[in-house]
Formats: sequence, C-alpha cells, structure tokens
Amino acid sequence: MATSRKQRESRSFLVFARNHVFVTIFGVVVPVLLFLALIGYPIAYTIYLSFFQWNGMAPVKKFVGLANYAYLTGDKYFHVALLNNLKWLVVSLVFPVTLGFLIAYAMRLRVVYFPSFLRTAVFFPVTMSLIAVGLMFLLILNPIFGAFDTLLRSVGLGFLVREWFGDFHIALYTLAVISGWAFTGLPMIFYFAGLGDVPKETIDAARIEGAGHFRMMTGVALPQLRPVTAVVVMLTLFESLKAFDLVAVLTKGAPFGTTNVLGYLVYLESFWNSRFGYGATLSVAILVVSVALAALLLSTVLKGAFHE
Amino acid sequence: MSEVAPAQPRNRKRFQLRNAGPKLVATLLALALAAIFLGPMYLVVITSIKSNKDFLAGPFAWPSAVTFEPYRQVWQELHFGDLLGNSLLYASTGAALAVLLALVPAFALSRFDLPGKTVLFGMFLTGLMLPQQTVLIPLYATLRTLHLLDSKIGLIIVHGIYGMPAQILILRGFMTAIPSEIEKAARIEGATDFEVFWKVILPLSVPGIIVGYSLNFIAIWKEFVFGLVFLNHETNFPVTVGMLKLNSDRYISVFNLPAAGLVISQIPIIILFVLCYRKLTSGNFVGAVKG
Repeated sequence: MATSRKQRESRSFLVFARNHVFVTIFGVVVPVLLFLALIGYPIAYTIYLSFFQWNGMAPVKKFVGLANYAYLTGDKYFHVALLNNLKWLVVSLVFPVTLGFLIAYAMRLRVVYFPSFLRTAVFFPVTMSLIAVGLMFLLILNPIFGAFDTLLRSVGLGFLVREWFGDFHIALYTLAVISGWAFTGLPMIFYFAGLGDVPKETIDAARIEGAGHFRMMTGVALPQLRPVTAVVVMLTLFESLKAFDLVAVLTKGAPFGTTNVLGYLVYLESFWNSRFGYGATLSVAILVVSVALAALLLSTVLKGAFHE
Repeated sequence: MSEVAPAQPRNRKRFQLRNAGPKLVATLLALALAAIFLGPMYLVVITSIKSNKDFLAGPFAWPSAVTFEPYRQVWQELHFGDLLGNSLLYASTGAALAVLLALVPAFALSRFDLPGKTVLFGMFLTGLMLPQQTVLIPLYATLRTLHLLDSKIGLIIVHGIYGMPAQILILRGFMTAIPSEIEKAARIEGATDFEVFWKVILPLSVPGIIVGYSLNFIAIWKEFVFGLVFLNHETNFPVTVGMLKLNSDRYISVFNLPAAGLVISQIPIIILFVLCYRKLTSGNFVGAVKG
C-alpha cells in the first residue's frame, strides 16, 4: 500500500511539474538541491565522519568504527558539557520563557500603562549580537568597577557579590541568565502574537466569572496558547543546545572547563585540537540530544500541541 | 489594540477607576523591568563618553565632560570602518540572497496543492532548527575544496542558503494570507504561474519581504560561529568576530574603549530597529512557523 501511495504521489508530482514548470524549477528543484548540497550533505557527512579519526589535513581518514562514541561515553568534558547544556535549558525555560509570557500577558490584557514601551525595551536585546551582550556584561559584572556589584553594595546587599565568571559554582548560571536576558524578547513576541488570537469573548467571559489574573493565565491563556508554547519551547531547546557565542567571549570554558557546553566543545576539539572525527561525534551528540528532547517533550507535556 | 471592554459600557469608567491603583503598581513594576533590559545599554553609553578620570567616579556617575576620544581611538585601532563595512555587506547581500531563493518556494508552498508538500515543509523546518555546529566541519571542508574559505563570497553564499528555510516559512505565512479571489481574477484573464507570481503575489508580499529581510539582516549581523570558523584575515571579519579583540587586557582595563566599540557595533541595527520596529515587534511573522 505504502509503495502504491508513493507511486501515486510521484506520478501526481510529475503531472504537477509538467503543468507548472516555473514553480517546479524555482520553487522545488533549486531550493531542494541547494538545501541538500549545503545543509543535507554536511549533516550526512558529519555522521559519516564521526566513525573516523581525522586531523583535518591528512588525505586519508582512518576508520575507527565506534571508537569515538566509546570515548565519548567516558569523556568527562562531554559529561560536564552535556549537563551544562541541560542546566542552561532549564534556566532558559524558567527565566526568559516565563518572563516573556508574563510580559506579553500584561501587555495584551492591559495590566500596565505604556505597553509598547515595555515591548520595545524587552525586545531591544534580541537585536544585539551575543558577542556585544557578552562584552556588555563583562563590563557590568566586573568585580572592581562593575555597575552590578556597586549597585548591590549600595543597597546593602554586598554579601551577595560573587566572582560572577570566576566562581565555578555559579559561572555557568551567570552565562545562562545573561543569555536569558538577551532572549526574553522572543518568547514575549510569540506570546504577544498568540494572545492576540485568543477570542475576546473568552477573556470577557472569564472576567465576568470573576477570574483573577492567576486563573486567567492558567485557565484561559495558557490552554489557548499551547501551540505557541510548543514553538517557543522548541526554539528555546534548540537555542540552549547550540549555545556557543557567550561561552566563547566570556569564559572560554573556564574555570576548569566548568562552563563548557557541547557547542564550544565541538569547536575546541575540531579546530583547536584538530580531532575532527571526535568533533563530528560531539556534533552528532548535539543533534541526537536535540531530537530526543524535542521528541520527549512533544510526546508528553506538549502532546498534540502542534495540531491544535 | 485589544482593549478588553467590561460587560456593560455604562460601567466602563468605574471599572477603569477601580483598576487604576493596581494598574499603576503594575506599571511601576514594568518600568523597573524595562530598566533591567535597557539599563545595561544606558550604562554602556555613558561609560563610552567618559574620560579615564571620570570612570573612577563610579559606573553610575554622569561624565563631568563628554568625550568622543574613545570612539576615535577604538574606531582606528580595531578598523571599525572595515568591520562595519563587512558586516553590512554580509547582512545585506546574505539576507537578499535568502529572500530571493525563498520567494518561489514560498509561492509554491502557499498557493499550490503541491504533491509532497509536507515532506518539503518538514525539510525546511529541519534546516531552521539545525544547530550550526552539526554542519561546521563538512562545510569547512567543502568551502576549502571550492576555494571559498576565508572569502567574502563564500560566507555570503553560506548565509544566504542557511537563511533560506526561515525565509520560506515567513514568506509562506504572508503569501497564504493573500485572498484567493485576487489570484482567481488574474487566472481568468489567462495569467500564467509566472505572471501570477510576478504581478499579483510579489507586489502583495512586500510587507512580508520587508519583515523577512530585516529579521535575516539582524540574524546575520549577530552571527558569529560561521564568521569565526570560515574566515582568517582580519580584512574579512564581520563586527562580531573583530570585536572579540575588545575582550583583551589591553582594552578591558579601560572600560570606555570596549563600551565605545559596543555602541558602534550596535548603531546600524538601532537604525534598522527604529525604521521598522513596529513590524518587527508586532509579531505578525509568528504565524509563519505555527504550521
């Protein structure tokens, strides 16, 4: 049955192609070829390369089977980096996503005056490169001249002051929170657009029934926003797992590799240690973890959200 | 926009008055929040116009005399003219290439009952979600084979093709929203696919093209990994890669230099943001990814 359907589809595609030559060539063939050449092929090649040992220059790559993967399971740096990516993800889901939702809610339901000012302010960091963001917080969190510590001390919270990038207990969270600061605008915009699609009658009805903001959020807004939440969570997931820029500009994995993330490890192993095979293995790990987590979320808490 | 009206218009005024107190408190909270998001940029700007002497007066102190010397110095030492020029080149042409490549696919996915539509759609969605690190090594090797490593054209092509999937989804969203009656009218007059695309759909997609182009422009302006890995010569660096130098002992000990560099790097984006921030923050491109 499956083959006959496939045959029918390919035959109907040929019919379509004959009737719509322009659309087929520039709308399907060209983009698909470009996609396969510069996106599809590299993915396949990375998977292929993960079974080899290669220094990036040698003409012959040495096939090592699953040795890279065996090494991966015992690699302490990999464990730390993977755990860091997961922590980064949790911070991102708790801080920017939740905050973005609350801000979007406050703007749509007119809980605050000047909603567009708030929207502009929160969205602004989204337009900044993470390199610029990183440099900015390097200045602000400087232990001697930084504004943040000065502020804490002046309001009597001096005991909270830490070595924000030097203390290995918190350095990773510093990075994740900075990344969240720069990211909040995106979930906000998505929720803002999504809340615009919630029928006004639904909100009015809940209000007449005397629903407070908490009930309005949990009982009306969030259930209606499940498809948007699915998109936002997926976006956050993939952003967190490919984190790189902030680590590169702020800590380079220091102190003691405690702020390494998978994306930075790929770069280190491939382009600094010239272990391209193992770098490819780490890349595959990122891909596998991304897809696995996405599948897990979409089959549990976000089940069916994309089809609502 | 979506002012939530009370059940009876007669009660409107009382309803609003009753809510004025909490609303004022909420607004104060919102302003504090806005300060968290804009405050750092404000601090960077005032730091960038301070002399070294003023800097010691503390991060919040207003400069006793405004100086643009840090800007002059950092502009010269880091060759910001070149960096900005490169970033502008990459962002403007890369985004243009992405939009150009995406127009007809978006047309095909939005206005036709294309067989295998879901496969195509899923494929482009994958391209959108892909972590860059997954393709870094093969792409590096491919560019080397094509002699496009450390070349501006190579980076533009990469940006254009990696921007394409997102553009297809965004433009598809906008094109789907165009009423089919307009297209039908053209079809009755005997317009071919190309004529429908060129004379009907394209002119009506201009708002979508502006949104898509701006978003891609910003994305390429922010991009760092590709630039870092695929380029070697400083003369090819975009701002993000060139700026890394500011995080060195030479610059980081004197705050006004990195601060000035930071402001310079952000100026073109601020201009773009001011020009079309309504379109960018209204979120009407969001529908594109909802499937």
